[in-house]
Amino acid sequence: MNHSYDSKLLFAAFLGALLLVPCALAAMDSDYCLMCHGDADMVNAELLIVPTTFDTTAHAVLGCVVCHDTIGDDHPSGVSELSRATCLDCHDTLGQEYLMTDHANYAICGDCHNPHEARAMKAMAGYDMNDKCIRCHDSQTMVDVHKVWLPQADLHIAKLPCITCHTGSEGYEIVLNIVVRQDDRFFSRFELPEYQILKEISGDAGILSLIDTNGDNFIALTELRRFNRNPAYRNLRLEGTLVPSDVSHDLKTLDNRYDCTFCHISGPKSLQTSFLAIPNRDGGYQRVTVEQGAVLDALYGTPDFYMVGTTRSASMNILGLLIISAGLVMPIGHGLLRFLTRKNRQH
Amino acid sequence: MAENTKIYLQPTPVRIWHWLNAFGIVTLTVSGAQIRFPEYISLLGSYKSAIYLHNTAGFVVAISFTLWFFYYVFIARSMANLYVPKVEDLKTGLLRQAKFYFLTYFLGWENPHHPTPRNKFNPMQKSAYLAIMFVLMPLVSLTGIFMTNVEPLRGVIVMMGGMKILMSVHFLLACCLIAFLPTHVYLTTLGHTPMEHIKTMWTGWEENGNDVPDHKENGTVPSH
Repeated sequence: MNHSYDSKLLFAAFLGALLLVPCALAAMDSDYCLMCHGDADMVNAELLIVPTTFDTTAHAVLGCVVCHDTIGDDHPSGVSELSRATCLDCHDTLGQEYLMTDHANYAICGDCHNPHEARAMKAMAGYDMNDKCIRCHDSQTMVDVHKVWLPQADLHIAKLPCITCHTGSEGYEIVLNIVVRQDDRFFSRFELPEYQILKEISGDAGILSLIDTNGDNFIALTELRRFNRNPAYRNLRLEGTLVPSDVSHDLKTLDNRYDCTFCHISGPKSLQTSFLAIPNRDGGYQRVTVEQGAVLDALYGTPDFYMVGTTRSASMNILGLLIISAGLVMPIGHGLLRFLTRKNRQH
Repeated sequence: MAENTKIYLQPTPVRIWHWLNAFGIVTLTVSGAQIRFPEYISLLGSYKSAIYLHNTAGFVVAISFTLWFFYYVFIARSMANLYVPKVEDLKTGLLRQAKFYFLTYFLGWENPHHPTPRNKFNPMQKSAYLAIMFVLMPLVSLTGIFMTNVEPLRGVIVMMGGMKILMSVHFLLACCLIAFLPTHVYLTTLGHTPMEHIKTMWTGWEENGNDVPDHKENGTVPSH
């Protein structure tokens, strides 16, 4: 009975919506808008929206007219002032959180997030999260500011998204990326590649097949090892970064971030969760789950991802303990015999 | 003939280097342990303190090692003579010394080696110090320098196999050096008195009661 009542209510709401939105626009979808706004020859740069990028945003699902609802069927010759929904219409909680920060005095949502390009955090590589921050916060300046108290400030700034420390998110996860050697020089740097480069390397099998050899959409430790040891992939490596697991816009730095052991500590529950970020054709990323604890593997799991105190290897610890123990053999064994034969040396 | 003599065995630069090195290596061991096992060890306060102390002690030991190297090679000019085993050492010396440590010492026999300023180390010591001072110390210092400069040296680190390889090499080399410490300290107690060799490294002079003089030296009477 209740179900029937809900259905009627929904239907009434739908009719109401149809009345509010002009009939011609009801049929208009994003593709229709992008026929002009996705073509650089039709609109100027300010109005240009890259369709392949927009399609990967959560906003694309809503469609253009949800935010730009005053547009008429006489567009573009009609109303020149296009209505825009405000970000807080949907993102109220995040927005209120942000408005309480000092950042809100200097930048509004759109200064950091282009609504036609904004991707969910899980559709990002990790390193690209800083694109927004460096518009105002120059990397070298940030290194100088941080090195006053932070050991290896240059390494931290280069390898971590700012929001890993500067948000209230409690949880972290590791995102691994495939990086590519830039040229044939011996000490050439490895950089995050674009989709097309990895696609050419992987061929028709797809980029994920470089590592996920059995095609189960899950990265096992054995697959990571095989990838790292494969001489055919000597120009590819895995790099890792630490990203917040929850989205937060309070942009505060919790006191525990100043305690190195917040990140640099090991334990059964520490940093077990990791993902591989695979670039998509549209410029976004797809996350693939990696076996729990794989980044802790001694050498070939993730050879370039190492955090002192955290990713230490149990097998290395055992080997180290054996070596140190061997150093005790002489004092203990010889010392015991020395004690037992002490009378022989009394002369 | 038995004599009571003193021999100036450890010159001042060597003694300063030795104790600086000893203090540095103990500091590196404790701070390194805290850096690797922060949830179990917090002897040096915060994690950051342990890292700064480890880095500082590492650089001090690395510089000290460099000075030591140049002192022996260019000033004392006795590096090869003291540290590189001779053919005779390898042929018979090693076996003779091992026989003393592991058999005849317990029977109360004299040490077959008598240290002099020009021949301080017995064949086993030479071999051990050769490995420690020419392989372990340079490598552990070098890997440490790489690890404190990861960002500028990333290309080289990647070429070497990555951070985990570098870190594992540094850790295992450090374990080898730590393993040597108890053996080293124990062997210093094998003089005529347990403190004899330790005093020598503090004062420079080795006292000796009744050892046979080394015919190669000028009237000095060495001990173990």
